Amino acid sequence: MHKTITFALVILTGLSAGALAANQMVYQKGRVFSSESVSIKKGDALTFVNDDSIPHNLMSATKGSEFNLGSQAPGTSTDVTFKEAGDIQVICAIHPRMKMMVKVTD
Amino acid sequence: MPGLFPRRSNLFGTVVVAASLGAVGFASIGLGAVVVGETRRIDLGQKAAPGIDSIKSQYKRPATIPFPKENPYTPEKAALGKKLYFDTRLSVSMAQSCASCHSPGFGWGDGLAVGVGHGMAKLGRHSPTIVNAAWGAIFMWDGRLATLEEQALGPIEAAGEMNMPLDKLMDRLASINEYKPLFAAAFPGEGMNAKTLAKAIATYERTVVSERAPFDAWIEGNEKAISEEAKRGFAVFNGKAMCSACHEGWNFTNDGFQDIGLPSKDIGRGEFVPGVVKMQHAFKTPGLREIERRSPYMHDGSLDTLEAVVEHYDHGGVDRPSRSDLMKPLGLSAQEKADLVAFMKTLTSNLSPTAVPVIPR
Repeated sequence: MHKTITFALVILTGLSAGALAANQMVYQKGRVFSSESVSIKKGDALTFVNDDSIPHNLMSATKGSEFNLGSQAPGTSTDVTFKEAGDIQVICAIHPRMKMMVKVTD
Repeated sequence: MPGLFPRRSNLFGTVVVAASLGAVGFASIGLGAVVVGETRRIDLGQKAAPGIDSIKSQYKRPATIPFPKENPYTPEKAALGKKLYFDTRLSVSMAQSCASCHSPGFGWGDGLAVGVGHGMAKLGRHSPTIVNAAWGAIFMWDGRLATLEEQALGPIEAAGEMNMPLDKLMDRLASINEYKPLFAAAFPGEGMNAKTLAKAIATYERTVVSERAPFDAWIEGNEKAISEEAKRGFAVFNGKAMCSACHEGWNFTNDGFQDIGLPSKDIGRGEFVPGVVKMQHAFKTPGLREIERRSPYMHDGSLDTLEAVVEHYDHGGVDRPSRSDLMKPLGLSAQEKADLVAFMKTLTSNLSPTAVPVIPR
């Protein structure tokens, strides 16, 4: 039990330190991405915020960088870390007008 | 795009941490170049509900039809496109035209539960209207085609629909003398080919726009244009029933894909995004203009009346993982249901008759 708590605390501390480094934010209010294109460094994370009134389903089909957030409820945010350089298109599977590019540089 | 999306993989430790942080979803870690962290609740603050004038302002009709810069409008193109649209020789049987399934007499649909294709065989889905296709973001019930130009060729080529190979079709059209000058006028120097055929039909389709309805007059300030019942229905549509979460804007759609819980085996959009749970059984949200003339309803034509459609949404449909999070029992009263139907009927315009063109020989 004690070991489990210590384990969780260690991870929590690590995450808190990570959370202090301010990620770039991408918002989705009104079924529109707040930026058409975002540039980040390899290994950095973007925070996708659903500040809209309805669920979104962000994903990428860009080869090698596929991901799928699933249904993201209004009033939630998700960090996504990009580990490889390249141009990655992020879309909402539900709303076809929502498209943006994440440019990951070395 | 089959198999592009690996399933989420959860690490036990991450889940423990996510739970400790009050995360609302399971954290997931991708195995590739992208790592998805935990999902957290955030405070968006309390927002006052928008007033009726603010809501009404979102429904104003646009002043002009959008045409893409790759295929701008010309009267010659639209006139040629109209002849092609009504020409039954675009099907291998020479018995079906675009207008057979998308007829102006039926709100630019066919009035059937599901379409009828080559050899009078029933198709799997309801023929969608082409009204206001100019504003479409993506085409077909499952979104498999990106532009109206691609859409124009899809049913012509489809074996189950008009069953006409495009090379064979262009040979057939080239043998019809009166088509040559029409293509030459519409596409100087471009010739008769599948590309110009698609551009002409798409241009004509973009001119098919729902005309002004009583609802438009009300949006523009005439309080007497619609009944009090319909005004209450508009409030329910934008409020308690949440219809406007998907049926938004002047054409009453954001072209999004949702599983609304119809008990059908058809997976719709899921065929093209197999790894995305919410896309299974999802179909494109149709606009609601001229809806009263477009029965039966839904992608499978399974509901005969607007009253039945409202009952479906009030019930919430089949509860399954793919069902939209927006679908849930609504608890509408009989009055609210009647008001919703009254409101939807105000979207019907006095569509002026469409003259069938003289077909080239």
